[in-house]
Amino acid sequence: MASVGVKVKKRLVVRLDYCIGCRACEAACRSRFKGESRIRYAPVGETVLVPLPCRHCTEPLCAAACPFEVIKKDEERGIVYQASVHCVGCKSCILACPFGVLDKELLRRIAQKCNLCGDREGGPRCAASCPTGALQFVDEDEMKELMVGKRVLSRLPFWRRA
Amino acid sequence: MSEIKRTTCVMCRNGCQLGVVFDGYQYRMEYLMDVAPNNGRTCPRGNSASIVIDHPKRLSYPLLNGKETTWDEAFGLIKKWHQDVKPEEIAVVYSRGAGAAEIGLIRGFAAALGTENLVCGYLEPDNAFRFRLSGVKSATLDDVSASRATLLVGDVFNTSPVAAKRIIEARYADKQSRMVVIDSIKTREAGFAHIFIQPKPGTEFLVLAAIAGLIDAKLKMDIDGIANRTGVPRRQMEEVAQVLKPGVPGLIACAASTGRVSEPYWHSICAQILAFKAEKPFVGFGEALVPDGKIGFGKLKEALGAGRIKLLFWFGGLHPYSYPELFPEINKVEFRVATSIFRPENPLPGLVLPVPSEFEKTGKGESVWGEVKFEPLANPVSGTRSLAEIVRQFGTVQDIPGDLFQTVKLEEVTAQLTETLNRQLNASPSDSGDFFWLLGRKEAIGVGGFFEPEEEILLHPADAQRMAVTEGDFVKVKSKTAERLFRVKVVSVVAEGTASVGVNVHQNRTLFAVEVDPGSGEVKIPPTKVEIWRVSA
Repeated sequence: MASVGVKVKKRLVVRLDYCIGCRACEAACRSRFKGESRIRYAPVGETVLVPLPCRHCTEPLCAAACPFEVIKKDEERGIVYQASVHCVGCKSCILACPFGVLDKELLRRIAQKCNLCGDREGGPRCAASCPTGALQFVDEDEMKELMVGKRVLSRLPFWRRA
Repeated sequence: MSEIKRTTCVMCRNGCQLGVVFDGYQYRMEYLMDVAPNNGRTCPRGNSASIVIDHPKRLSYPLLNGKETTWDEAFGLIKKWHQDVKPEEIAVVYSRGAGAAEIGLIRGFAAALGTENLVCGYLEPDNAFRFRLSGVKSATLDDVSASRATLLVGDVFNTSPVAAKRIIEARYADKQSRMVVIDSIKTREAGFAHIFIQPKPGTEFLVLAAIAGLIDAKLKMDIDGIANRTGVPRRQMEEVAQVLKPGVPGLIACAASTGRVSEPYWHSICAQILAFKAEKPFVGFGEALVPDGKIGFGKLKEALGAGRIKLLFWFGGLHPYSYPELFPEINKVEFRVATSIFRPENPLPGLVLPVPSEFEKTGKGESVWGEVKFEPLANPVSGTRSLAEIVRQFGTVQDIPGDLFQTVKLEEVTAQLTETLNRQLNASPSDSGDFFWLLGRKEAIGVGGFFEPEEEILLHPADAQRMAVTEGDFVKVKSKTAERLFRVKVVSVVAEGTASVGVNVHQNRTLFAVEVDPGSGEVKIPPTKVEIWRVSA
């Protein structure tokens, strides 16, 4: 997964075949940030709803698009984070994100950016909270075990239930 | 940062263990990875614990007719009201916000007041899981994991999302594993099912009875009659009977939500009859179980309507009086006392007393997996007083415990079931195109309106086309009890001629009437007929 010399510590991955669309991930984020959620969700068909967490890209376009360098990459931890006090709410990062995970609605005139719950030792609250274990915070070895990005889609039970 | 306070979540009966920590500024959730049954996993309801504790709308002083008053004045007023009425003109109601020990004290309080009007005010259909059919095994966590033939009735995944993990793991564990879902809405849970059955609104229990009849012909069920009434083909029910045949390790899990279940008692009993005949363990998921009072709610409603109650005490519930749809009857009461953890949105006549939330109390209770303990996550909000403190203001009050579960025998209910089925099968068809059936939906994320305002109504594409509405348009929904404005979401998860709204927020619940069965006195909040028309925003 890791490339261009960036050391990726841990990433959020979604096991689609386990997600029940309960939005506990969103609720966990909102209960931490007092009503604000930094994780979005999207429907896939009518009976599947999946979370859209920030990918913390190796080459983050949101950071590149930010005119005031508010969004930065922590190379050591692999986190793309936001120094929100300097955000002017120009929405450049929202437009730049290729995955659409940044909410277009500003809150208190600033963009909301996931920082993987940097204040919590156990990792992001959304993953800890996920009732079915669909959302996981895993390192590179665990990613290999889960075959993230390698499983053939047709083999996923998710496709049997879509 | 202070230490982590632990307790059992009170939002549903799965018995999840929660942690909350105060960081000097706000309460935060902590996820206890080392404790079963949830190992840190928490649904949206559980995540609301930290919000409930320091919610800005928490009530911290008594209200008299919507205005702030003192506890001394409130107690003085209640004593005066008590002197002005006869014991038979007093009614005492308790709901789910009161713990088991507190309900014992409330029973003692009613006895001390000399009234027989002691009533359970928890009217949710999941309370029917208190009735246990003799001979049916209660499921354990191991039973869930070992299940290879799982039947889910209603929206189990939204009722107890954390329980979904083991159910899904069992579904994927073996290629021979089969999951069946029976629900009048094609929920996300249905997306996991090998067989999904979508009966007509409120007829799930008929399908369950038919499947039990297919497994054991001695039950003599009119399968074709039920197929005709429910809209579920006989072939599909035979397929489910084959999946659930005795001998295969399995599970029958049932959930019931407001506005979705027409006969809560039979919903629970028929699922258990099927479990008994299919030799599967049973588990009924819900928010709470509250024991019966001395009289049924139906009798209280009648007495309220006739103006025979002059002093009403209503203990427990997230909001005062729990059910705003009952206000027309409650408004006839001269003197009213309710407890609340939140400040009412509109001023209410009478007294509203602030009490601690369930997250601030100690006690014992029952989860679906066994006995659990509750510990306070935080100190009670300043200005609140416990139910024990309130009732003891009126003298010595004894603790009178009540029985939570009621066991019924199959041979005792068979005749009654036949009668109910005959009544259902002979009822005139109600599929007219002039109205919609409105179904209630209790999604976990909608709890208390903390995360989701629930302003959407689900409409079938054919109905939307007929009404010339598209996604995002606004419609008015009118039932016999209320009228509400909703934004349209067009989806085929609801059947043609039906619509669905969230029933976590109280405003939406007012569309559903609290009905009393004249025969049994059983209270239910079934799917309701509504008119829907397009309006400009």
